[in-house]
Amino acid sequence: MSHTFDEIVVATLQEVPELADVPDAAVVTEFEQIMLVALLFVIMFGMGASLTPRDFLSAIKKPAGLIIGFVTQFAIMPLIAFIMVLTLNLPPWVAVGALLMGSVPGGTTSNIFTYFSKGNLALSVLMTTNSTLFALVMTPLALSIYGAGLVAEGAEIPIQNIIVTLVILLVPVTIAMWVRSKNANVGAVLELMGGVFGIFVIIFLIVTWVPRNWELLLTTPWNVYFVPIMLGPIGIGIAYGLSKLLRLHPMNARTVGLETGIQNGPLAIGIVILSFSGAALDQAILIPVLYSLFIVIIATFITLYFRRANLAEEQDIPSLL
Amino acid sequence: MPAHPWTSQYPEGTSPEIADVTLPHLAAFVRDAADRYADAIAFTQCMPNGMNGSLRYRAVDDLSDAFAAYLREACELQPGDRVALQMPNCLSYPIAAFGVFKAGGVLVNTNPLYTASEMTHQYADSGAQVLVIIDMFADRLPEVLPNTDIEKVITVKVGDFFPPIIAGIIRLVQRYWDRSIPTIDIPHTPFREALEAGRKAIDRGVDVEAYMDGLDHDSLAALQYTGGTTGVSKGAMLTHGNLLSNTRQMLDMIGEAQIRPGTEVVLTALPLYHVFAFTVNLLGFFEVGARNILIPSPRPPSNLKRAFENYPITWMTGVNTLFSALLKERWFLEYPPDHLRASAAGGMALHTAVAQRWREVTGTEIVEGYGLTEASPVLSFNPLSGEIRDGTIGIPVPSTEMRIVDENGEPVPPGTSGEIVARGPQIMEGYWQRPEANEDVLKNGWLHTGDIGVMDEDGYFTIVDRKKDMILVSGFNVFPNEVEDVMTQLEGIAEAAVIGVPDEKSGEQVRAYVVAEDPAPTREEIIAHCRKHLAAYKVPKSVEFRDDLPKSLVGKILRKDLRAELPDEQFGFTPESVVGDPRK
Repeated sequence: MSHTFDEIVVATLQEVPELADVPDAAVVTEFEQIMLVALLFVIMFGMGASLTPRDFLSAIKKPAGLIIGFVTQFAIMPLIAFIMVLTLNLPPWVAVGALLMGSVPGGTTSNIFTYFSKGNLALSVLMTTNSTLFALVMTPLALSIYGAGLVAEGAEIPIQNIIVTLVILLVPVTIAMWVRSKNANVGAVLELMGGVFGIFVIIFLIVTWVPRNWELLLTTPWNVYFVPIMLGPIGIGIAYGLSKLLRLHPMNARTVGLETGIQNGPLAIGIVILSFSGAALDQAILIPVLYSLFIVIIATFITLYFRRANLAEEQDIPSLL
Repeated sequence: MPAHPWTSQYPEGTSPEIADVTLPHLAAFVRDAADRYADAIAFTQCMPNGMNGSLRYRAVDDLSDAFAAYLREACELQPGDRVALQMPNCLSYPIAAFGVFKAGGVLVNTNPLYTASEMTHQYADSGAQVLVIIDMFADRLPEVLPNTDIEKVITVKVGDFFPPIIAGIIRLVQRYWDRSIPTIDIPHTPFREALEAGRKAIDRGVDVEAYMDGLDHDSLAALQYTGGTTGVSKGAMLTHGNLLSNTRQMLDMIGEAQIRPGTEVVLTALPLYHVFAFTVNLLGFFEVGARNILIPSPRPPSNLKRAFENYPITWMTGVNTLFSALLKERWFLEYPPDHLRASAAGGMALHTAVAQRWREVTGTEIVEGYGLTEASPVLSFNPLSGEIRDGTIGIPVPSTEMRIVDENGEPVPPGTSGEIVARGPQIMEGYWQRPEANEDVLKNGWLHTGDIGVMDEDGYFTIVDRKKDMILVSGFNVFPNEVEDVMTQLEGIAEAAVIGVPDEKSGEQVRAYVVAEDPAPTREEIIAHCRKHLAAYKVPKSVEFRDDLPKSLVGKILRKDLRAELPDEQFGFTPESVVGDPRK
C-alpha cells in the first residue's frame, strides 16, 4: 500500500497533538523501522570501534584545527536547511526532517568519497569523529534554534527525545570502544562492518522502501525533492568555497567540502524513528530517506569532478585493512 | 688490536671486543632463544586497521622445524642450496627464514615490489631453487621462472597464522575489494600445506637437528643483494658467523640497560628483507626475547597508528624518512608513544632537525648508526648510554675497526676526509660469483665502503657523502648531505635533495629540490638561509619546488633519479651512464 504525498501531509493536519495515539506509521513499516535502527546500531558500533579515548581528548583539547569543519558542519549546514525551509514553504513536519538533515553530523561514507577525490583521509576521519561527538550538543541546539518558528505551525520538535536518542546511540559507541580496547581483532571487524552496513542501508532502502512507496515518490512535489537533492551540493560548495577563501590546501578544501555536505543519513533516519511517531514520523522521515538515497549519486558526481581537477596522480581503491 | 680512540667512548659495561660467539650457527641461535622465551610472544603482525595475529617463541621454533623438514624432504634441498624469500613483513617471514637456516640452506631476501626483470636477475644470479613468495605478487612468476633454476614455489598469505575468522575477512577484502590477489597459473604449494607436510615428516622420525651437521660460522647463511655503486645488483655473501657476530656487536653496543631481555616491544616498520631490519629487529630482538610488531606496509604512516595504540612499543627502528613522516602525523604528535625508550636510525643520514624534533616530541633518545649490506650491516653506532653526537654515525661497534684512508689506501689523520674502510667479524665473504667486484671492495681484509667520511679525535665518524653523489664546484667538494641538512633546518622545508648540474664556469653547480610545507619559504629565503650556514660555493644556485622526491623502497631519496631527469645536453654524464646499467 502506497500513500500519496497529500495523504501523509493531511494525516498530520487532522491529528490532535497527542501523536502517540496515532496508529503505525504508514511510510516506513515497523519491520523497516526495526531494520533501520538495527543497522544504525551496527554503524554506531563500527564508529565506536574506530575510536579510542584519545580521540575524545584530542577533540576537546585541540579543536582549533577543526574549527572550519565545525563551523561549516553545525552553523552553515543547519542554516542552509533553514533557508530552504523558509523559501520552499514545506509542510511543517517535512520541514522538521529537512532541519534535522541539516543538523546531524557528518557521515562515515564521506571518508570513502574523500579518498576517491584525493582528499585528506586522516582529516576526514577526524572530522567525522569530532562532529559525531559534538552532535550530542550541537544537533539539539541547532534544531531548537531553527525549529522555533515551526512550533506555531504545529510541529514542535521533540528535542528531549532527540537528546535521549543521541545518548542511547552512545551506548553502542561505548561498548564498541570497550570491545576494541580488549580485542583489536573484534574491534577491527566491527569497524569494517560499520562501513559495509553504511552502504547496506542504502541498498535496503532501494530494495524495500522505494518499490513500496512509488506513489509517494511520484506525488511528492518538487520543493520537497529540492532539499534532499540540493542540501549536499550546496553544503559542499559553500564549505569548499570557504576553505579556498581561507587558503586551505586544495586537498584539505576538498575534504572539508565533502565532509560538510555529506551528512549522516542513517543517523537522521534513526533519530526520526526513535524520537517521532505516527504521521509526524511519516513526514519527518521523508527528507532523510530521500537524502540518503540521493547523496550517494550526488557525491559520486562531485567526486568525479574533484578527481578531474587533480588527475596528476591516480589512486587505487583504498584498502579496508 | 691496537688501542683505538673510540674505545674510551664505549658506555660502561660495553667491552671493546665481543665475547666469542659460542653458538655454532643461526639455527642453534633460534633454538636457543626459543628455549629461553618459549611462552613469550615473539611476533605480532599488525594490519593498518588493527587486525592482528601472533606467534609465540615455541611456535616459531616448531613451525620453522617443520619448514626445514619440508625443504629437505619434499623439495630435496641440499646444504648450501639457495631459497628465495619474497614477502612483506608478516608472520610467515620468520618461520620461512629460520626454516631455511635449519635446513642448512642459504637465504635470498627479495624485495616483494621488484619487477619481473629484477626478480629474474636476482633468482638467476643466486641460483635459487625454492621460492617462498607472497601470493599477491605471484602473477609475475610465469614470466620469471623459465629463466631461473626455481623448481618449487611456495605461496604465503598476508593473513597466515591469524585467527581463522580474521584471516578469512582479510582474504575476502583482499580478493573482492582490493582485488590484490591474482590468479596464479603455475604449480605452487600453500605455505600452510608445506608446514603440514614437514610436520608429518618430523612425526615419521625425520631428525631436523641432523640437517645442521656441518654448519658452522663459515657456512653461507644469506645472499643479500645490493645495488652497490655500480648499478648491477650483487649478492653479498653473509655467513652464519657474520650475522651472529653482528647481532652480538649491535646488542653489546646498546647494552642490556637499554635493551632489557624479555621485556622489549619493538616496532618493525622497515621491511625484514632489508638487511638493517633483518639483523637488528629480527635477529637482535629475537635474541633478547622481545615482542616484534611486524608492519606489512608502513606507508602511508597512518598505517602505524593502530600499532602504536594497541601495543606498548618500547623500541623502534627506522630511516630518516619514517621518523620525519611520523613527526608530521597529528595523532603521533598529540599522543607520542608512552612506553618508547629509544629509537635507532640507519639506512640513510638522519637529519639533525629530525633527530632534535624526535627527542622533543617523544622525550626519548634517537641514535644514528651506519652500516652497509656488505657488513651484515652494522659498523658503527652512537652509544646510547654514552655521548651521542648528532650528525655523526657514532663510533665503531665492538670488535670493529674503522679507518679513513686516502686514494692510496693510507690512513689519514683525524679531521681529514677520505674513504671509510672497516674490518671485523661481520664483513662479508665477498660478492656471490663476482671475484672481479671483490677486488674493488675487499682489500687485505678491509671493506672499502665507497663512503667519504671524517673521524674526529675521539673516534666519532661523520659521513661526508657517498663518492658518487659528491658535487665538484670549481674544484671544491660539495657534499649533498651537508647542504640538505642545512636546508631542512629551515622552517617550512619538509625534504630537500641536492645534486650537481653542469655549469660552464664552475664545472658543476649545486641545484636543490625542495618539498615545502604550508606556508612555503620563498626561493630567496631558502638561499639566504643557506648563505648564512654554508660556504658560498655550497649554496644552491637554483631551487626547484616539488610535490615529492623520488625515493627508494626503504625511503632513501634517490638523487640519481633527479639527475636522470636532466636533459642529456644539459648533463654530460651521470655516474650511472658512465658505468652503464646492465639491467637496461
